Amino acid sequence: MLALKNISKIFPGVKALDDVSISFAPGEIHALMGENGAGKSTLMKIITGIYQPDMGQIYLDGKQVEMKNFRDAVAHDINMVSQEIQVIPDATVAENIVLDRLDKFKKGPVVDWSAINETAEQYLAMVGLEINPADKIERLTAAQKQLIQIAKALSSNAKYILLDEPTSSLTTFESNNLIKIVRKLKERNVAVIFVSHKIEEVLELCDKVSVLRDGKYVGSKSCQGIGRQDIVKMMIGREETDEYLGTLDIRDEKVLEVKDVTAYGQFDHISFHLNRGEILGFYGLVGSGRTELARLVIGADKMDKGTVYVNGTRARIKSLQDCIERYGIGYVTENRKEEGLMLDLAVSTNISITIWSKIINKLRKISVKKEVDSVNSMIEKMKIKTPTIKTKVGNLSGGNQQKVSIGKWLAANCDILIIDEPSVGVDVGAKKYIHDLIWSLAKDEGKSIIVISSDMPELITLSRRILVFKDQKITGEITGLNEQERSYEEVSEHIGRLMA
Amino acid sequence: MKAGNILRENNWKKIFGRGEVTVILAVLTLGIIFTIFSESFLTSYNMFNMGRTAAIYIFIAIGQALVVIVGGMNLSLGQIGGMTVVGAGYCMEILHMPPLAAVIAGLLVGVLAGLLNGFIITALKLNSFVVTLATSFIFTGLINGVSQGYPYNDIPEGFTFIGREGFLGIPFLLWLAAFALILLGYFFKYTVTGRRVLATGGNIEAAKMSGVNTNKMIILANIGSGVFAAMAGLLWISRTGSAQPSTGVDWMVISFAVAVIGGTVLKGGVFNPIGVFFAGFLIVMVKNGLVMLNANIYFEQAYLGLILLLAVSLDSIKNIINARKLKESLKRETIKQ
Repeated sequence: MLALKNISKIFPGVKALDDVSISFAPGEIHALMGENGAGKSTLMKIITGIYQPDMGQIYLDGKQVEMKNFRDAVAHDINMVSQEIQVIPDATVAENIVLDRLDKFKKGPVVDWSAINETAEQYLAMVGLEINPADKIERLTAAQKQLIQIAKALSSNAKYILLDEPTSSLTTFESNNLIKIVRKLKERNVAVIFVSHKIEEVLELCDKVSVLRDGKYVGSKSCQGIGRQDIVKMMIGREETDEYLGTLDIRDEKVLEVKDVTAYGQFDHISFHLNRGEILGFYGLVGSGRTELARLVIGADKMDKGTVYVNGTRARIKSLQDCIERYGIGYVTENRKEEGLMLDLAVSTNISITIWSKIINKLRKISVKKEVDSVNSMIEKMKIKTPTIKTKVGNLSGGNQQKVSIGKWLAANCDILIIDEPSVGVDVGAKKYIHDLIWSLAKDEGKSIIVISSDMPELITLSRRILVFKDQKITGEITGLNEQERSYEEVSEHIGRLMA
Repeated sequence: MKAGNILRENNWKKIFGRGEVTVILAVLTLGIIFTIFSESFLTSYNMFNMGRTAAIYIFIAIGQALVVIVGGMNLSLGQIGGMTVVGAGYCMEILHMPPLAAVIAGLLVGVLAGLLNGFIITALKLNSFVVTLATSFIFTGLINGVSQGYPYNDIPEGFTFIGREGFLGIPFLLWLAAFALILLGYFFKYTVTGRRVLATGGNIEAAKMSGVNTNKMIILANIGSGVFAAMAGLLWISRTGSAQPSTGVDWMVISFAVAVIGGTVLKGGVFNPIGVFFAGFLIVMVKNGLVMLNANIYFEQAYLGLILLLAVSLDSIKNIINARKLKESLKRETIKQ
């Protein structure tokens, strides 16, 4: 039995886990669910020793354990199959499986390849893979690599295996196969911790489901005799589903129209449009094409074919500079730290970067006064909490960083905003603020906004029309959200059907 | 979140928190030490000479700082200086060109070499380390091939005027260096291009996503680096009165040492003209003072290396401590909530 008692983990500005107690029993498939930012990945990292809890203890079969790193976790028979598949591509299948214990396979001073391959074969059989252990691993499919990771975990004699969204990148057939393997693990008395967003899959496969919300433990239920709605209720809580923001004054005027966008090997004739004053939602899983399509439109990546119209006229967006300066389209990235902010530079620099070329005098000298005024008014408008405007952005909390990341586009006075994962990595309070801000930008300032999100409640709350993305295609459109109030369940089920 | 309280330090701390203050204090301390232990240190002759060398070091450091600012580096800086020296010397001695034409030719060498580095780095998406390492060998080959290792000594009188004379007791070279630093300070604070260069160094992806043509900024920075290396080379001829093909071989450590001690952050995005000014003096004083103190001059490079290492470690240690303090305070705030 692996038991977590009163675990808390704090990051600057965010309580990622707040007094969480959960236990996992051998021979049980235990689902761990929650929305993005609910604390699942933090909890997984604590179980596998990657993070250490700030408060609380971990017990293994009644004995308290302390794990300082992943190796400690493996030594305690805990292992993990991560979402980003971690294999060494140049090594063989067998090498990857016995990687941790390569030094045990020696014949004198040299590596005993036949012993490695024999051992690997044994574990490959357990996960139902019929491949040559001496093959290079890079030739395998994503599903096969995932099974290799399970084989690797088994070979380290793991009694607790965490599966982090194992089916998210698999086809239906591959998922079914994986599920069979997971059932076999249960028969071998392994405790499986199954992290997934797919409620149906969890209900079908798991014995028990535990839910986290905003870093807190909501509860655990047996999967016997409960339905989809019970889990949804636990995951998002009541208060968020009932939030109805009202209607927007959407004009029947296309501010942005994208026609037949084609990028070879990625998109094939994709079209969509955005009306003035509208909030349009792009829903889809990571990699479904939402962000990739946005990047083509704004000129960050090159499209092979297709036309873009801004305010009814043909726009030739060759670079991001064009996109911002000539067409007034701003893009708030989902990777705030990598693409959104210059973390070591001042708040003022990060906000004013989009307006420098607009605040120069005849001698092309930047007016520092105009810059400071503009930055200050943005800090005030967005309630950015920062000691001074010269403070490094990296020293602000996640929520305030996100406000800066959005703020630079507001400073530039962009009419069209594309906001990718608006509340990624921010706490509940900041999330609410950002939602209200996006809403008021559309409602009060008439801006036209595309919100890209995999957070379904967020998207349903904000969007007045939703496009659903799957496998680089728009599989459907949900309309009529502005005209009448629709229940969260109704819309989410509609999205679910379009995703199937 | 009330990060404000913990970040609001008292004024003394604020003054000492500024990058250049540490350097100025170091210069003063060293100055006092050398004055006490050596009679010939604080003489107008020695001061004038140190000023001339510091000025050239400042030019060299600017050449390095410009690329460090965009998150790169220029290992071929000294060789660009060497090529300029050989080019200008060749123009004057062999082609009998007037000094002004030789200066223009020398600067052109710097522009072209910088352009070459910048173009390869951006067009082929290569790391500036490997590119400038390779070009430094190419440039060395060109220097040796053209000069055959011999210096050009036929330098007109007018050429050495700037390098040897002064105004108000301060060498012309130092006036020039100060002027260059003021110009750059203005460039980075008040021009769109200057700001965009800094932003590129701050985070190239974020700058790109904010509409900055980052490739252009990187090429510009490399051209600037080449030009300042060329200027340093020309001023070196002016100072010594001879165009030595070996000019520049010791510039790499000096360029990094002065730039980094002067507060240029190796990660990019920051330039501190006052810091660079005093850092130039610091390095000259270390070299000069060691001679005065009769230290074993053969170990000079080791001292310089140690100082550079100390400068980068101090910065890094400061960052680690600050990050830890911030995290602790945010943690306390979060728990309270």
